[in-house]
Amino acid sequence: MRDRSIRLTRRTALAAGAASLAMPAVVRAQGEPIRLATLTPLTGGGGSYGPVMAKAAATVVEEVNKAGGVLGRRVQLTSEDDQTNPEAGVRAARKLIDVDKVSAIMGTWASSVTTAVAPLCWESKTMLCTVSGADSITLLPHQGYLIRTQPNSTLQITRLGEYVLSLGAKRVFQMIPQTPFTQSSIKLMEAALKKGGGEQGSLIYDDKKPTYRTEVDQALRFNPDLIFAAGYTPDTVVLLKDIYRAGFKGKIIGMAYSINQKLIDQIGQAEVVEGVYTFAPSPAEGATAYERVKKITGMDNPDPYTCQVYDHANLVLMAIAAAKDASGTAIRDSVRKVSQGGGKTVDNAVDGIKAITAGEKVDYVGASGPCDFDDKGDIIDCKFRYEQIKSGKLALLKIA
Amino acid sequence: MTGWANYLVFIVATGGFYALLALSLNLIWGGAGMVNLGLAGFFALGAYASALLTVNAGAPILAGIAGALVVGAIGGYVVTMSTTRLRGDYLAIVTLGFAETIRLVANNEIWLTRGSDGISGIPGPLKAELGGWFNAAYALGTLAIVALVWFALRRIDLSPYGRALRAVREDEQVAQVAGKRILRFKIEAFAISAAIAALAGALYGHFNSYVAPDIFQPLITIYIFLAVAAGGVGRVSGAVAGAYLVIFFLESTRFAAAAIPGLAPVQHAAIREMLIGLALIVVLRWRPQGILPERIPPAPRPQSQEAT
Repeated sequence: MRDRSIRLTRRTALAAGAASLAMPAVVRAQGEPIRLATLTPLTGGGGSYGPVMAKAAATVVEEVNKAGGVLGRRVQLTSEDDQTNPEAGVRAARKLIDVDKVSAIMGTWASSVTTAVAPLCWESKTMLCTVSGADSITLLPHQGYLIRTQPNSTLQITRLGEYVLSLGAKRVFQMIPQTPFTQSSIKLMEAALKKGGGEQGSLIYDDKKPTYRTEVDQALRFNPDLIFAAGYTPDTVVLLKDIYRAGFKGKIIGMAYSINQKLIDQIGQAEVVEGVYTFAPSPAEGATAYERVKKITGMDNPDPYTCQVYDHANLVLMAIAAAKDASGTAIRDSVRKVSQGGGKTVDNAVDGIKAITAGEKVDYVGASGPCDFDDKGDIIDCKFRYEQIKSGKLALLKIA
Repeated sequence: MTGWANYLVFIVATGGFYALLALSLNLIWGGAGMVNLGLAGFFALGAYASALLTVNAGAPILAGIAGALVVGAIGGYVVTMSTTRLRGDYLAIVTLGFAETIRLVANNEIWLTRGSDGISGIPGPLKAELGGWFNAAYALGTLAIVALVWFALRRIDLSPYGRALRAVREDEQVAQVAGKRILRFKIEAFAISAAIAALAGALYGHFNSYVAPDIFQPLITIYIFLAVAAGGVGRVSGAVAGAYLVIFFLESTRFAAAAIPGLAPVQHAAIREMLIGLALIVVLRWRPQGILPERIPPAPRPQSQEAT
């Protein structure tokens, strides 16, 4: 026991020393800082997305702080890990709300984590900005304390169905793991295809299997001209390899959040992924915010979640400036004043805050889309970006 | 109640659910020597039973919790009855499979469990009346239940029944030769243990107002094994102490890791995981019997020659 207590003291001493090193930054702050947080999956199933998301939000905050902060106050961003698990996510959110006293939590990724964290947020009047796609999320009784930048499944899948038809595919087979949007994805794709005289077969698979041979066999028995691979990166890597091995000659399409450069690198054989189409919500062509995200993350193809959390940070900071108040309720009440309704088009919070301080009305156009929200907190419309893999690289086909 | 105080009572309540799970595991692993890797499954059974009874059937919360106990006990009975010939590692694998089955059923039987959307809006007792004091009151209630279960299990531990259970743990054949009906002991212990885990699940659901399949990943089972191993296998107080130690450790590493400047959030998260792994190694290396080791009264020796 004595041995242990010495260890503990040493560790405490280390922590205390480290804390004192960090002190000057706190002392330099002008008045009470504005506290915001990201809650992204840094470990667990979403661990490949969360770290870059946290970095994107941190960069936005850093830029704003360099330009003098908001309302003359410094912005302090805390980043916690939701471990892609609702139980751990709730503990982290409780700490952010009660101990850090943040007025907004940004970037919750898994739908189950968002649904678990949302009640804590609306009960404590904390704004929650999420990238989760499940239709049920915006139907929660959130009193306006929730917005999401991810288009819901209805918008996404309907548009994807139209695109699939335009590729000339009539027989589509959807392969999808069990997620909160699985049922609606299958139903909506079916409806979209029917309109154009197409037909759908579908299969729900277990996303933790090491091989999908039998699943692929079942898909090929349907004799599809196109396979819609609707999983996440880890399972799609396995799935695409098995589809290739089975000698499938038709087209393949998937979501850009799973079929990305990381997936291409992991598969490592260019011919496996050659010609695969990807699909993602996107800003209008030539939107400058997307270029900014490319620059700050150093990625050629920043994933949609990173773009969205970049937008969250900008929107929240501008909403605080517009409300002249940093509370969660103020953010809720003024976020739509900076996101939509005309005015000067801005693509980042620094310019936006400047314009707001000068008394101008702003309309933010983000990296993930125009970022206009309806009363439920869903985005109203957005463009989609269609890409195709050509010799191991993603090539842009169109934005529409 | 807001600020630090609210956070702390929240952690006390969450620690209470962990403590109940640890008590459940301690009874079956420390008491009867059966390794139950399916703890998360029984936790899920209770959470879903109570959530479905209160949300779908409109039953009062107490009835939901009672239902969870019954469903948990039945689940435990079914698992032991279907694994009567299995011991040790084989039983562990089957129980792990049971937990995964429960999670997959919760994920895919959408008509009943609402699939991966989960069940939200589970009522909490007197939530509207208590307002900001809900967390504090719930934490107190949870502590009272933990104390009650602790007391009951301690009584079992000290009773002839508890001794017989330990005899089963040490050597089934010897216990059988001594005339103990080991199957009945195992079934009863497993059912009680499963019911306690289900109770933890029900309490969890009414506290957080949301249950979903993602919550019941094997991660929670690992945390509870860490708690019981650190606290002391076979000692009721050890399980409770271990559970609070784990939750305290999980939360304090948040602050300790964040105190290291110049690291990205993902590195903080990685340091937390490493610290948790390190803690397990440290405990197993220097204190394998746990902080509060099991106390077994020495058996009377046949010859009364005292060792000098």
